[in-house]
Amino acid sequence: MPELKYVIGDPEVCTGCMICVNVCSMYYFKVISPDRSRVRVIRLDDGLDFPLFCRNCPDAPCIDACPERAITRTSKGTVIVNNRKCDGCGDCVEACPYDAIWINPDTGKAIKCIQCGQCVERCPVDAIWLTTEEELKEKDPTGRIMDLHERHAEDLYKGRKTE
Amino acid sequence: MIKGIGGEILWVDLDKSHIDKRPVDDETVYKYLLGAGLLSKVLYEKIPLGIDPLSSKNILGIATGLLTASMFPQASRHVIAGLSPLTDIWGESHAAGFWGPELKLAGYDAIFFTGASSDPVYLNIHDTEVDLLDAEPVWGRDVFETDDILRERHGKQCRVLSIGQAGENRVRFAAIMNDRDRASARSGLGAVMGSKRMKAVCVRGTGRIEVAQPKEYLRTMDRFYERMLANPFTPERAKYGTTNLVELMHNIGRLPSYNMREGVFDEYEDISGETITEEYLVKPRADWSCLQRCGRFTRVKDRPYKYIGGSPEFESQSSLGSRCGNRNVESVLFSHHLANQYGMDTISLGATISWAMEAWEEGLITEEDTGGLDLDWGNHEAIVKLVKMIAFREGFGDLLAEGSYRAAQKIGRGSEEFVMAVKKQEIAGQEPRAQKSMGLAAVTAARGADHLYAFPVLDEAGFDDEIKERFGKKYLPEMADRLDPTYKGIMVKECEDYMVMIESVGVCKYGTQIPPEFYYDDISEALRVHNGINLSPEELQEIGERIVNLNRMFNVERGVTRRDDNLPKRLTDVPSPRGPAKGQVVELEPMLDEYYRQRGWDPETGIPTEQTLKRLGLK
Repeated sequence: MPELKYVIGDPEVCTGCMICVNVCSMYYFKVISPDRSRVRVIRLDDGLDFPLFCRNCPDAPCIDACPERAITRTSKGTVIVNNRKCDGCGDCVEACPYDAIWINPDTGKAIKCIQCGQCVERCPVDAIWLTTEEELKEKDPTGRIMDLHERHAEDLYKGRKTE
Repeated sequence: MIKGIGGEILWVDLDKSHIDKRPVDDETVYKYLLGAGLLSKVLYEKIPLGIDPLSSKNILGIATGLLTASMFPQASRHVIAGLSPLTDIWGESHAAGFWGPELKLAGYDAIFFTGASSDPVYLNIHDTEVDLLDAEPVWGRDVFETDDILRERHGKQCRVLSIGQAGENRVRFAAIMNDRDRASARSGLGAVMGSKRMKAVCVRGTGRIEVAQPKEYLRTMDRFYERMLANPFTPERAKYGTTNLVELMHNIGRLPSYNMREGVFDEYEDISGETITEEYLVKPRADWSCLQRCGRFTRVKDRPYKYIGGSPEFESQSSLGSRCGNRNVESVLFSHHLANQYGMDTISLGATISWAMEAWEEGLITEEDTGGLDLDWGNHEAIVKLVKMIAFREGFGDLLAEGSYRAAQKIGRGSEEFVMAVKKQEIAGQEPRAQKSMGLAAVTAARGADHLYAFPVLDEAGFDDEIKERFGKKYLPEMADRLDPTYKGIMVKECEDYMVMIESVGVCKYGTQIPPEFYYDDISEALRVHNGINLSPEELQEIGERIVNLNRMFNVERGVTRRDDNLPKRLTDVPSPRGPAKGQVVELEPMLDEYYRQRGWDPETGIPTEQTLKRLGLK
């Protein structure tokens, strides 16, 4: 398997401006709409802002959950949704532990981050970047960033499903 | 069809609990834009003369601008307006955050509240569903609790705008807060919302904003972002927000201290941006599409002033710090935090307390008035106590909740002399004897004393190139000289036209005025790409001018004339006693003469002439 890349953000650097969110919906769907973006940003009341993306899990539960086999991993390691096969049933949404895949209300198809880097280029504070597990360990040897994500898991990964 | 907007306006009749949705009228947009312009037009036509601002006859309007929720830098803003209970004339205030963009995503550009509810209510908006709901669970609660409760009830992704207890108790400088710590602070419109028994507007918008030129959209924004990030002000703004204005203003003698008696504060380092950044800053925070990130998120770790939250701004450091002779920075931060929690304008709050402190020093206010509270300069315990007493109208706080002008009228004994206000609104933290344009701006602003209506900062920080570009070389060096009154009438007029236009498109004054990175041509380009509106820089300027004149007519019809365009004697007659501006006064009259000439207003009365009104299509 190729080295799996994903976008990660530092909640202590992110200012919460939503530019990544808007870049994404504009780039892919030609609209400004957080509900049609593949990235979301959650602001917590303790001063942390979390930009949240697909983690590109090695055992990607979304792939297994899809009854239409619409979700596959490409040779480069990116998990993608085949729009012709996706019928918007939402099983992948249920399966994702990170709330990182959901249904675009206009198209009725599942959408998720495919690590294109459009938002990374435009983050005004360099709070987000493409990484592998290994690279992240090098950059953040104490595991501060992942610790922050885990500590706030309840606030970060329940939002969409409970609405 | 205009793109990039919500498309509908909500009219909420609180007398009848009835909600009406009306489409945005294109013709109005081409004449007034949205935001401040839309509110100026509608409220000029609809608010009756001779009413009490806290009666049900007042109308409260909230509007987003044409670019609010766009990707233009700092396009996060909404505007609130109505008849002000502080000034009894045009009241207007603005805030950044996420609430405005969320309203647009729900499909609405503005909300007007008419009448008053008999029981406390709040408005809940979830896309097309708009309901007035019983506010019992949140009435009496502070701003943070209200935000928690409503987002627990309606979904964490909702954005909440609300009043705190200060608004409910009709404090005349109560703010309307959104996203917890963003404040539409000035003009006391929180009290209007409280008088209508309207506690909050909770919004969730899952819609999409379609733009006029999707193909070139990101490329256009990339160019704006590059310029904004390359501007030398941006890293400084990110590092300090507005907090280091304390030291910058002190250094030019423009930091009000001791109720604006002076423009320097010997202990300024204690409350400076440097101190706050080193000791208390958690991180800079941004609002929607904001690259400047002047918002601060701070923490005081120890009692008695322990908190974590969004604050401060320079204005609060000045009003609750130097203006009250207060060098205790933790109390400054904490009282700002409390003002957010209860929902109050920190400028009028600190200025009113500092008025009381000076009157105390002069022996005009005694323990009998204050209920035993000692109002010595710098008594930070008293300041913090007063913040709560004002919000809840307890004891002496009940008097101060009226604002310094009315409080002085009630107390009398010569304390009126120490009121640092224009048209009953307290002057912001901009000592005008050290920057003459600020003195003129404070008297011409439609909402009473105000530094933001014109925000004439071109003479503040060496923007000679911009002055040359906007006005021409012949105005240099005088126009760029803070202490020289020459040409300031020309400058303030130009700045007002531009700034009210900016408030009508919903972007921030940071980036458009300081630093002056974007100008009319950039807004014109953004409106083309985002909204599909073709308005030239000249047309946009004329719209700004139209709005200023309409705001003036709103006030003229309520009795305002040149006589009211006046500063406290301290600023025009008493030379600044100390510091870099020592010996200076504000030479108001010649600046005003020049300003009225520029405006086409009668120099005797300060009223727009028939000819001017006709030229702008207002007659």
